[in-house]
Amino acid sequence: MYQFVRFAAVRASLAIFTLVLVSFIVFSLMELVPGDCAERYLAFKNSQGAQISIADIEAERVRLGLDKPYIQRWGTWIINAFQGEFGDSCILRLNISQLLGQKIWLSVGICLASLLVAYMIAVPVGIIAATSRNPYLNNGLRLVSYLGLALPNFLLALMIMLFSTVMFGDSLTGLFSKEYRDADWSYDRVMDFLSHVWLPVFILGWSATAFAIQTVRALMSDEISKLYVTAAAARGVSGSRLLLRYPARHALSPIINSLGFDLNRIFNELPIVALILTLTEAGSLLIESLARSNDQQLAGAIIFFLTGSIVAINFITDILLAVIDPRIRHSIMG
Amino acid sequence: MTLLDVKNLTLQFDTDEGRITAVDDVSFEINPGEVLGLVGESGSGKSVTAKSLMHLNPPNAVYSPESSITLNLEDQSVDVLSLRQGSQDMQIVRGGSISMIFQEPMASFAPAITIGDQMVEQLVLHKAISEKEAMKISVEMLERVGISDPSERFNQYAFELSGGMRQRAMIAMALSTRPKLLIADEPTTALDVTIQAQVIDLMKDLVTDFNMGIIFITHDLGVIAQTADRVAVMYLGKLVEQGPVRNVIRDPAHPYTQGLLNALPKLEDLDAPLTPVPGDIPSPLERPPGCVFHTRCSAVEDRCSLSVPEMKALDRKRSAACFVAADQRGAA
Repeated sequence: MYQFVRFAAVRASLAIFTLVLVSFIVFSLMELVPGDCAERYLAFKNSQGAQISIADIEAERVRLGLDKPYIQRWGTWIINAFQGEFGDSCILRLNISQLLGQKIWLSVGICLASLLVAYMIAVPVGIIAATSRNPYLNNGLRLVSYLGLALPNFLLALMIMLFSTVMFGDSLTGLFSKEYRDADWSYDRVMDFLSHVWLPVFILGWSATAFAIQTVRALMSDEISKLYVTAAAARGVSGSRLLLRYPARHALSPIINSLGFDLNRIFNELPIVALILTLTEAGSLLIESLARSNDQQLAGAIIFFLTGSIVAINFITDILLAVIDPRIRHSIMG
Repeated sequence: MTLLDVKNLTLQFDTDEGRITAVDDVSFEINPGEVLGLVGESGSGKSVTAKSLMHLNPPNAVYSPESSITLNLEDQSVDVLSLRQGSQDMQIVRGGSISMIFQEPMASFAPAITIGDQMVEQLVLHKAISEKEAMKISVEMLERVGISDPSERFNQYAFELSGGMRQRAMIAMALSTRPKLLIADEPTTALDVTIQAQVIDLMKDLVTDFNMGIIFITHDLGVIAQTADRVAVMYLGKLVEQGPVRNVIRDPAHPYTQGLLNALPKLEDLDAPLTPVPGDIPSPLERPPGCVFHTRCSAVEDRCSLSVPEMKALDRKRSAACFVAADQRGAA
């Protein structure tokens, strides 16, 4: 038990170290972009018609603390970041934490829900596909999988929107209906949210499901043909007990391993899908802040959040693997 | 009464390249307390034959209608080939009255389940006992096969044990339900020679103790000479010679058996060149017509490629499927 706690502690500190390293990279990338926050803001003011001088820019720099050394500014940024405080948005002059607020949780929630749906479908379907000899089922699944892998998410989103607009006159965009957009959370708002959120979850989960089915099927076929399964059958183990206790259980470790990878993929796909479906979540805000307003403070905060979730899920899968697989447990306990 | 009767067992596999014959008209029997050695090169159909005794071959295996495997128990006879997956009688055959141990003990234990869990599972499946009783029996069995600290090993995983220890645990698990027949598929091939001797001694002890029949599959004639009462030699899915182990090894009748014995390295003359059986075992897709061995046989005659020699009883209580041997020794 002591060794397990130590293992978890080591993994946790490694995860935090990774996060610090990532924050450094994110911060450096923000620095590499020509111009700084002061210039950008005053340029924005200028475009609104205000007269500005070099002295104004310098004064703004001092006010924002941009005259301090790079490493010191990163230090302040990372310490604040870990406290959930990211300063103000460069252009909007609004507190980033307030700006992101529930949006970031909506994004993380949508991604995790997609992942959950994907694996809840993929694990049983993959197991059935691996054990079935029915050619129709297998070829049908292969077709669905190839479609899932080949069809870009944004195209799928556009097609569904087109279909829905033509057939039902509803483009299915957004996460809330108009009347609930800025309302407080209530039962009705939750129901309204659920009636909208299934579409992005479905679109994001679609390719992840296709991918996961292939993974699960390949792993299961591999395990089923192993000698220990034949040996268990020879001992009289049969039916679903033979399937679940033996190959399925042993195929689980690599499947858990692929969770982190899949979450990463879903995160990458989220901003484009969000843009098309005009979702008011953090992914579309990221595109907005990066591409349109060049708001590095905001973009940095979002990227930090997203990598943070990926580091977190990788930490969780590490711990899960050690709990499930005695060989891994053995290697850490020595 | 015989324990197990195999009659005209013919088994083909449906594959993309067509039907492959793996076992061709094989008949043999085994009595309680008898050790039958099944010998042959890789690809001769030994393991497939063994697996059909428990109906363990994959679903693309097709048995000919003449094939029959009968297991004679005290209170009933079981027609193995007619059993359906998961049926009650299948349970009796698999792990109840017949147990099987495999070549690689590491690969035949599930890696992420403790040895004890797998032993208890088998016992509870076959005997009307509680998990606690099953645990007690398992630990006793582990002790019986010579494993030290059995109650500690009980909670360990296969990867935590040494090779010889794993095979002992495998034997303990196989025998825990007191089966009538043990099928040992190359149980000592993956072990080094000293451990091999220990495991063979252990198995011999247990046969006497438990009064079981054993089918001992191997390509090692030395091991067969030590363990078996009777030996059956297989080549390309055919049984070519069968008889008491001393008679067959001292005076082999079939040219293939002679070839196998000649191929053994001789410790007394280390300079003597090795004499392998010439040629390679043919692909099962291109089975030779007539006697399957005629393409590699040193005593081949014209008739060998024309018709299939039948299994004929010869001298010294042995039988062989060979025209030449039958003529020389005067088939009964």
